[in-house]
Amino acid sequence: MAHALSDRELAVSRLIEGRRETVFQVFTEVSHLSQWWGPTGFTTTTRTFEFSEGGVWEFTMHAPDGTDYPEWIKWIDIRPPELIVLVHGERPDDPERFTTTIEFDERQGGTQVTLRTEFQTKALRDKAVEQFGALEGGEQTLSSLARYVATRKKKLPDE
Amino acid sequence: MARAKTTADAFNAIAEPHRRTILTLLKGEERAVSEIAEAMGMNQPAVSKHLRVLREVGLVYVHPEGKERRYGLDARGLEPVYGWTGGFSRYWNESFDRLNTYVKEMEGEKGDGARPVRS
Repeated sequence: MAHALSDRELAVSRLIEGRRETVFQVFTEVSHLSQWWGPTGFTTTTRTFEFSEGGVWEFTMHAPDGTDYPEWIKWIDIRPPELIVLVHGERPDDPERFTTTIEFDERQGGTQVTLRTEFQTKALRDKAVEQFGALEGGEQTLSSLARYVATRKKKLPDE
Repeated sequence: MARAKTTADAFNAIAEPHRRTILTLLKGEERAVSEIAEAMGMNQPAVSKHLRVLREVGLVYVHPEGKERRYGLDARGLEPVYGWTGGFSRYWNESFDRLNTYVKEMEGEKGDGARPVRS
């Protein structure tokens, strides 16, 4: 991480196995974004999409349990292929909207994507730790590992 | 106040670092107690004790194979933990899982990277 996080921030970082131009590109086109944005099992429906500084992406996220969540994103700063800054909320006047900075760094074996979100208050940050995107309730979506293991277990003779 | 028993639930069971290491070792492949003990540099009775706790909370299953008992991870036991941790990290870690798969496929189709070019 480039700098220490404040008590209003959360961050996550991952090495993505692809060239920086490719990784940046899939953040810029809705045909790509809709293929991977969101937790396992979620899908998106887009109403408005314009990737430019000041441009907006309005979409709905569909949870695996059938619940729909409104999403609104506005791009603030775009520097291909290094950085994207955006504001994210449920709608333009969402009082709890937050700012996310995404950095793309070339690394051995791929591109390090570091996403840092700054919330308006520590309380909103804490709420996000527990709730942000944890939407499915009882209809838990397991990771592919869990599915794999469960399938394997069913096949075992000694259950 | 007395602490909850280690076998009370998955949360108490995985509070112990050695047991988390065992679960990591059992991701993807079944192992015998001797293999786990060797990988961790622990003695077998100590590993067996940890495995017993993990079995009681449903995180590990036993698969008898001939004379041997092989242990495997039952990730379904982790459901309450996933559900509870949820939140920001899970949202993005799962998005990044999907992103990584998608980017690898894209570069594969274009013939970039390590994959062979289609003729």
